[in-house]
Amino acid sequence: MAFFNGGSRALVEILTRFQSAERPMPVDHTFFEFGSVRYHVQASASVPENVYLSISTPSLSHEASPSTSLPEFTLQEARKMYRKFAEIVEPAKEGYALTLKLNFSALARPKDRARAVRQVSLLQSVVLGSQLKHLLGNLGSSGATKLVYNHRDPFFVSRTPGKISAVFPMRFRDDTDIAVAASFFQELQDAGSAYARAPRCSWSAIPPPELRGESVHHLTTNGGFVSFDIFERHVKRKRAAKTAWILLNFQAYVKYHIKCTRNYIQSRMRKRQESLAEVIQNARLRGGDDKKKLQARKKGKRRLFSLGKAKKLQKGFRAVIDGIRRLRQRIRVKALDRFRRCFVVPKLATKKHNYLRLGA
Amino acid sequence: MANTLRLYLTCIRNTLEAAMCLQNFPCQEVERHNKPEVELKTSPELLLNPVLICRNEAEKCLVETSINSIRISLKVKQADELENILAKKFLRFLSMRAEAFQVLRRKPVQGYDISFLITNYHCEDMHKHKLIDFIVQFMEDIDKEISELKLSVNTRGRLVATEFLKQFI
Repeated sequence: MAFFNGGSRALVEILTRFQSAERPMPVDHTFFEFGSVRYHVQASASVPENVYLSISTPSLSHEASPSTSLPEFTLQEARKMYRKFAEIVEPAKEGYALTLKLNFSALARPKDRARAVRQVSLLQSVVLGSQLKHLLGNLGSSGATKLVYNHRDPFFVSRTPGKISAVFPMRFRDDTDIAVAASFFQELQDAGSAYARAPRCSWSAIPPPELRGESVHHLTTNGGFVSFDIFERHVKRKRAAKTAWILLNFQAYVKYHIKCTRNYIQSRMRKRQESLAEVIQNARLRGGDDKKKLQARKKGKRRLFSLGKAKKLQKGFRAVIDGIRRLRQRIRVKALDRFRRCFVVPKLATKKHNYLRLGA
Repeated sequence: MANTLRLYLTCIRNTLEAAMCLQNFPCQEVERHNKPEVELKTSPELLLNPVLICRNEAEKCLVETSINSIRISLKVKQADELENILAKKFLRFLSMRAEAFQVLRRKPVQGYDISFLITNYHCEDMHKHKLIDFIVQFMEDIDKEISELKLSVNTRGRLVATEFLKQFI
């Protein structure tokens, strides 16, 4: 099953390759992840120890300011996390929210460097995690806010004394998706009781009371509402970022599961169709004929191929023999035939057969 | 196989054996045309009484016979929403590949999930008993496939849900 890792694999690969290169080479890569997260990695051959990494990620909340730069608390979080080998460049590169100047030369051991690269690849989850933390802090003792991680599927986070609820309105393309998702949500609800340390999950067709007052557009779904109750133990220290990342990717996780299940159903149906088609083929009076014909055709092709080669060889051989024959042949002059008739050649006496007459 | 299903299938098999005595019969309306009378239903004297075999309200089989063709329509069990979706999906998948089955009708008769049309030409080209075997096996396989699919979708769902929750630990 998919594991939506918080780290960017592309970023890890680029940075690892850059570090392991024998000769310093210039790097200039721009790539997108999750549709809306844009990265830019730049390094020059003249100063190979400095790598500039820029990231642009949409804000989680629609209420946040539309400016591209990140809020101060996010920058502080990034500074704290990458203080050993990176510093924040201000202002950030044009069109990006944050630019980091990475310098791994202080890290002598390759192991430390690899760990640092892994940490850098988590930049997006750090940014989003800090945003989420800040939003939850601003909610006060109670309230709800809409978060937009994926433009098509916003979700809601509400706070009540003692717990935070993440509510996902689920929308699907067609009936098959709904049926598969419903089975998954049911299992998620049931499996939750076995994992006491995981957040409690509930699924209902009607919106939970936390969403009272939200616009009808946001509360219209065909897959119901999935809520996770998050308590303090789920967001303690390092767990906060992990929990935030898992919840941010919940909708993508469900969609991936649906996609895989659809694929599985399709492949099973194809197999069953083949087995049924075989039964009807065997019902024919000349049941196995088609198969045999097909095999014969295949064999025939192989034979034709070999015959073609043999024919070529034969032709060549005949041409050589004809040449030799022509050389050895007597020269025939047509007029000589008439002349030859004048000289009668005595015929050799042939042996006469004596037949025995049967019967009287 | 459950006892009730065996009885149901045996009944269908016996009905088909009795009904499948088809012969070549040119169309009475249009000269030099040869059409399955069970589809056109132009001459009532060429049609036999249709036979409806029901296992329950959700599962039934309609056998319509005529002089040169026979039409078998099936309604498959759909206990819940998931089974309903899976049955629809699977039968649509098969109907779209009807050319692989020769006797499968592209569109089912109204009120049924899937239909077969067997003409005298099919009977001339195929063994009658094997054709009946095919229909019966088809019914068995559809039921089996839908139950298995439902089971595996639920099992997959459980596994994926467990994996998801494990991430928090």
